[in-house]
Amino acid sequence: MQVTLKISRYNPEVDKTFHYETYTLEAEPTDRVLDVLERIKGQYDGTLSFRRSCAHGICGSDAMRINGRNMLACKTLIRDVGEKITVEPVLGLRIIKDLIVDMEPFFDNYKKVLPYFINDSPLPEDGKERLQSPEARLRFDDTTKCILCGACTTSCPSFWASDEYLGPAALVNAHRFIFDDRDQAAAERLQIVNDVVGVWRCHTIFNCTVACPREIQITKAIGELKMALETGKLD
Amino acid sequence: MTEKSRTVSLTKRGFNFDTFMWAFVRLSALAMYLCAFIGLGGALIMGARTQMNLADIMRWMFMPNPNHVLNTNIPDIAPWTTVFWKIMGSAIVLFATSHGLYGLLSVLEDYLTEPRLRRAMRILFVLLTAVMMAIGVYIMWTS
Repeated sequence: MQVTLKISRYNPEVDKTFHYETYTLEAEPTDRVLDVLERIKGQYDGTLSFRRSCAHGICGSDAMRINGRNMLACKTLIRDVGEKITVEPVLGLRIIKDLIVDMEPFFDNYKKVLPYFINDSPLPEDGKERLQSPEARLRFDDTTKCILCGACTTSCPSFWASDEYLGPAALVNAHRFIFDDRDQAAAERLQIVNDVVGVWRCHTIFNCTVACPREIQITKAIGELKMALETGKLD
Repeated sequence: MTEKSRTVSLTKRGFNFDTFMWAFVRLSALAMYLCAFIGLGGALIMGARTQMNLADIMRWMFMPNPNHVLNTNIPDIAPWTTVFWKIMGSAIVLFATSHGLYGLLSVLEDYLTEPRLRRAMRILFVLLTAVMMAIGVYIMWTS
């Protein structure tokens, strides 16, 4: 089949603002959008810039807007998006070049929620691992799946309005540790997210849940953080 | 493994205006429904079913003011003007305006990024809400 890609282009050394360029080429319905982008870069226009790494939906490098919705190019098949495809960078972050955005504000917000395991108590007697019941593990199972692609945060209108807002991805990672019963910094993290630019900025728009390529129930996780702040219960 | 309940005290997790308002907007919404249903129940008990049309009943439900029964066939409006209904009407006014105020403040947070303008608008909205509350309660108790 023949597909036409309308791609947002921006070269900071030449352009004042972004513009679109169109490429028409042959593709299989089972090709991924990333395959087609690779072909354009390799065979048609070597100046096209985009991020990619593992190309298998794990590294989260190639989040972009495909036909107006945030997706991973490596997980999106041509047959699912049609013959006319518009590809743009994600919203809410500064464009560095073409489809590449500055992820620093995103990672700054991520770091604010202390996204790492904190437990200063001595190791168990066998010195190996801190055991956890399957039920306790299940409590935060969904939010362990985050790959930090930023598709959720950059689909959130509250984040578009202000990058002070921690954003769904940071809150998902706060959830992952707050509800882990082996971790000891839940109170500290709850204080961090208990802010007008924390969980309270979430207006349950659900864009994040729709955008997440890992199908994490993000709005639900943020709701659980709100309930934890109201009740203090982490079970 | 034994499971122990995990809780974080209020002092440790923090409590601020937004923590309070998140609970308040939900509870005030439920309170408004409750007030409306009490208004509906009261209206039916006081004879609205045969002497008021649906529009009048609805107006009474959401604003139990005796002016809303003046144009109906109800011969005696004394039961509609008691202190109880004035308190009910005042409660709806206070719940509705404070509930709506938080919505407006959230919109300001989302759409105004200039700090001084945001602060000025916040003050303006709070003052306007206070004025609307005062007018609403005044009407409830003087009409």
